[in-house]
Amino acid sequence: MTSRRQFIKKTSTAAFTLAAIPSALAWALRAAAPGSQANDSAIVVPDADGLILRSYRFRDLETPVEYFNTWLTPVPRFFVRNHMHQPTEFGSDSWKLTIGGEVVKPYTLGLNALAKLKSHTVVNTLECAGNGRSLHRPQVPGVQWGKGAVGTARFSGPRLADVLDRAGIKVSSKHVAFRGADEVPSNVPPFIRSIPIEKALDPDTLIATHMNGAPLNKNHGFPARALVPGWIGAASCKWLTEITVLDKEFVGNFMSPGYRLPNTPVKPGETVKPEDTHSVTSLVVKSVIASPGDGASLKLGKLSIHGAAWAGEDSISRVDVSTDGGTTWSEAELGSDEARYAWRLWKLDWKVAKPGAYTIMSRATDGHLRTQPAQAVWNPSGYLYNAVDQVTVHVS
Amino acid sequence: MSRSTWWKLGSWLLLVIAAVSLAAASPFNVQDDKPTADKLAKPANPANKDAAKTSAPLPDGAMKETATTTCTECHDSGIILQQRLSKAAWTKTVDKMIRWGATVAPKDHDALIDYLSTNFSPDKPPYEPPKTATERATK
Repeated sequence: MTSRRQFIKKTSTAAFTLAAIPSALAWALRAAAPGSQANDSAIVVPDADGLILRSYRFRDLETPVEYFNTWLTPVPRFFVRNHMHQPTEFGSDSWKLTIGGEVVKPYTLGLNALAKLKSHTVVNTLECAGNGRSLHRPQVPGVQWGKGAVGTARFSGPRLADVLDRAGIKVSSKHVAFRGADEVPSNVPPFIRSIPIEKALDPDTLIATHMNGAPLNKNHGFPARALVPGWIGAASCKWLTEITVLDKEFVGNFMSPGYRLPNTPVKPGETVKPEDTHSVTSLVVKSVIASPGDGASLKLGKLSIHGAAWAGEDSISRVDVSTDGGTTWSEAELGSDEARYAWRLWKLDWKVAKPGAYTIMSRATDGHLRTQPAQAVWNPSGYLYNAVDQVTVHVS
Repeated sequence: MSRSTWWKLGSWLLLVIAAVSLAAASPFNVQDDKPTADKLAKPANPANKDAAKTSAPLPDGAMKETATTTCTECHDSGIILQQRLSKAAWTKTVDKMIRWGATVAPKDHDALIDYLSTNFSPDKPPYEPPKTATERATK
């Protein structure tokens, strides 16, 4: 007979052994899986999972397009764009947000006070203005993003309007500037950008503290960031520490020459005078093919083409797909998940009867019937690349 | 408590532990959207954590040392390795970096631009970036 003590001992040993089996099994399965890539060059980055490393220090991570298969992008799969270094020490206790400038009553908020304000949620597709930069010809300097500096998440936090309202904005208010706590080396200008007062007071503009239901992690601006929906990512300043109401647009590197577009299209390679440019604000209509991947080898039969499409502050009215290099187009089915500033997933079933090479294209149209151009408008900084997307596949 | 009650309790406990740990570790229990192939990818080598902190080397050349010291003080070499720019664009970039605090001796200015525009010109093959590990790192 087993004594109670012996039994407990046996039980705990057995439990320990049993508990160890799944992880060992999982490891063995991973190692033995066909097609698994022993990617020894993969680099460990906190809270990032299988992203393309555009830059380690400062941190710029891109989402591979094949992950654009869920309406909400999981946080570890969400692209990261840092202009400079992330703040090294930034505890929830030490963080303070000051609200000042053209206001009656400047004040400072801690994280607890911020958490007490009524929270709102906005599902937003966030895209870096420079997404697709590497596809412009001639190439331009900057992070050479492919197609994946974009993602969609549920952002929550108090409305910026509520925070500004407590300070009492003056009639002279024209712009609201955000300052991020990015660590700035040497003479690099601090990360400060401003948005017009109308957009700042929009009920959907937030001071976001949460992303997909969890507190923001450091890559995404812990403990608080601006969330300016439908606009380029740079408007949604991370590690937010200062909000300043201004009587004009903020003057600084990240407003000009940074993040500006020529007023009229220029010839590729041409330089543009600063006075002939304007600030980049809303994103533009765009679609990306998530699958099949470029260069994929596929088998004859039924295939599915799918991806995502977004249009900043506008909606997506349709997505058309071509499987013959743009000669004929079929309307794709749009996914049921939708929100004002969020992308729509789309898909098209494709029956392939003949082997060969196929050029698949996707072309989105927004609510104002603006559609993706065959060729993106070149500009000196490579912003807002939105040409019709295309991949080539081989079917056998 | 009777011995049989202990047995029952013990067995239940075992089942629960086994079920919970299996659920947590099974690569097939895809509750998020991770693609299966990726889920099954080999775990990252923790040794790379340190390797990642040092930048990939810049190509050989007269200005290799200067470029390495000057540029990688603020950012890693990857951001240089991925550029494909004309000499005019490299000149603008180097001058901007000098304004932002990069220390380039006047005698090295032109040679540095030559080095960058020779090694990272538009006709060079595209840069192949590494990926971040597929396992979530702990803080």
